[in-house]
Amino acid sequence: MTEARHCDDILKAAFPAVRQNDPVCAKSSHFLVPKDLLPAITHYIHTQPSLRGRLTLLWACDHRPVRDTYGLYYLFTLEASHHWVVLSTELAGTDRLFPSITPHIHAAQWYEREIRDMFGLIPQGHPDLRRLVRHEHWPKGTHPLRKDFSWDCVLGRQQGEHRFRHIEGEGVFEVPVGPIHAGIIESGHFRFSVAGEPIMQLELRHFWKHRGVEKLFEEQTLIGAVPLAERVSGDTAVGHSLAYCQAVEALLHLEVPRRAKYLRSLFLELERLYNHLADIGAICHDTAYALAHAHCDRMKERIMQLNDRLTGSRFLRGVMRVGGVTRDIENAQLTEIVEELNRIQPDFSEVGAIIFANASLTDRLETTGILHEQTAWDHAVMGVVGRASGMNGDLRRDRPFAAYDELPVNVALYRYGDVRARLRVRGDEIQESIRLIRELRGRIPEGPIANEPSCSPNPGDWTLAAVEGWRGEILYMVMAGEGGRIHRCKVRDPSFVNWPAIQWAVLGNIIADFPLINKSFNLSYAGNDL
Amino acid sequence: MFRIIKKSLKIGVVTGQYRKAEKPAVSVAPEVKEKARLFKQSLAIRAVDTGSCNACEMEMNALLNPVYDAERFGIHIAASPRHADALVVTGPVTVNMERALKDVYKQTPDPKLVIALGDCAINCGMFKGSYAVTGPVDRHIPVDLRITGCPPRPADILQALADFRQESSVDS
Repeated sequence: MTEARHCDDILKAAFPAVRQNDPVCAKSSHFLVPKDLLPAITHYIHTQPSLRGRLTLLWACDHRPVRDTYGLYYLFTLEASHHWVVLSTELAGTDRLFPSITPHIHAAQWYEREIRDMFGLIPQGHPDLRRLVRHEHWPKGTHPLRKDFSWDCVLGRQQGEHRFRHIEGEGVFEVPVGPIHAGIIESGHFRFSVAGEPIMQLELRHFWKHRGVEKLFEEQTLIGAVPLAERVSGDTAVGHSLAYCQAVEALLHLEVPRRAKYLRSLFLELERLYNHLADIGAICHDTAYALAHAHCDRMKERIMQLNDRLTGSRFLRGVMRVGGVTRDIENAQLTEIVEELNRIQPDFSEVGAIIFANASLTDRLETTGILHEQTAWDHAVMGVVGRASGMNGDLRRDRPFAAYDELPVNVALYRYGDVRARLRVRGDEIQESIRLIRELRGRIPEGPIANEPSCSPNPGDWTLAAVEGWRGEILYMVMAGEGGRIHRCKVRDPSFVNWPAIQWAVLGNIIADFPLINKSFNLSYAGNDL
Repeated sequence: MFRIIKKSLKIGVVTGQYRKAEKPAVSVAPEVKEKARLFKQSLAIRAVDTGSCNACEMEMNALLNPVYDAERFGIHIAASPRHADALVVTGPVTVNMERALKDVYKQTPDPKLVIALGDCAINCGMFKGSYAVTGPVDRHIPVDLRITGCPPRPADILQALADFRQESSVDS
């Protein structure tokens, strides 16, 4: 609390023109900022040593038909206290311009381009105003998240080609990869500029899989949109649905029973387990270490079959609901989970020891794809990738949700930022998840598993919710509309933030190492493209 | 190196340790059976993701793990459409992926099979009607086999691929 007041006082003293508003959620402050002041105040929050705010989310909202304005919202997480600072400003009437903060804060780059595409608001002074989400064949003037844009309209087609950044010179050539890849991988385009083997530049061209998720949310009710949240990124069904449910519960002032909170943590850890096991296997696979890959995949399959037995879904779909969870896990089943994990843990420890003792594997992984701490900070990188590059953040510890207030988490942290560090973070987190599930079984209280919502929120109310999914921070901003519907839902998968960072991690590496580096990031294309 | 071989020996064979598919065999048109007959012993698949949520990809990847080991049945993943017998398409076809899907279909040599994997590829699932989705796969290219599920379990995929090719050989 004192921390919060401290940061509020600093901001108000430095910028008397800002007005403080009611906080939108716990551990946060909200300020209304005049538009012209945005670059200065965001720069101040980002660089001031006592604040060191990391840009966590930037989103826009079309407030029509309630009022004829566009809202812009900036969310910063302060480094020491993990306190949230929300800055908001409004563009009234026909005003479509806002000052870009990208020149000072690198992490804002994609957010501002996204806002330009989806709302037609123009970030003035942005260094790169090429289209991001809308590919060049989308007709001019289509801005899907504007309220006068119909969710089910048919888009026309125009001529247009993406302008890649070119490096020119003798012996420099470009290697295009994608959107369809050689293995079973999602769609995305990578454009490498190379001179010989080393990569001089990588440019991403994503958003091939843009399905209009955020617009589809606006066609749903607050209670009914959980299945859509599960399909934002299929491998993170629990993470996304949990973050969505938490946001809606905050809007409905709905308390979740303790038992449901424990079960939510259980499902989230099971999801982390199967994904991390798959990733470790996949990293081994990309170094042609087929045996280790087979062992990890075998263990991953055991967890997925366990999920299937427990919930009827290998991806734990359909377990989350607003107000709690949909199915109870009985004590006998909890014992089954722990017994299965008791078998998997020594199995994994053995494979892990073999993997890390393998000199030829270490040779491939060490110093490959280094993401430096400063670059990670500049891009506000988070999650597994961040923790491998010294970014000490984990929402389970920093802003506890579900049952993590009673289940302290040991955060894995490495500083080298190479592929091996990312592998190690995953290995440590597997052990930690198994420990957490064991502890959870001992502490889980009896009781109901869901509460029914009793009130409906006022149109225009909004809130934020965050969950540490297996990739990293998942954020949802949900704004209520008329009659229990959704006015706006901003979805932020950690992939959206971590993708641009990969362009820096590959520099100087040989092109043959790119699949390995990409796999060690293992970012979602679906969660990024939305 | 010996440690991991020792470990593999200790673990033994895990292939086939899964619950068998419950779904009934898929019905396919006679001309499709005729086409599938050619590939009854081996099937090279090119995976095309046109906008899925990535759960279908996860399950296709699971097909290659030691538990399902689809290579037992001659199924493998081709790195180029030119090497493919079948395209497996996942996800509703997004506006941005429409061209790429048509291109990859053109680049696949005849005779070829198109398999729509998962509910989204068959009927767009939850994304039906969205401005960013142009329709299911069969709106753009002819589809020979549909495997339902959101996502279909690996056992179901394996079963459908086996039945599909098996039926044709019995028929002939």
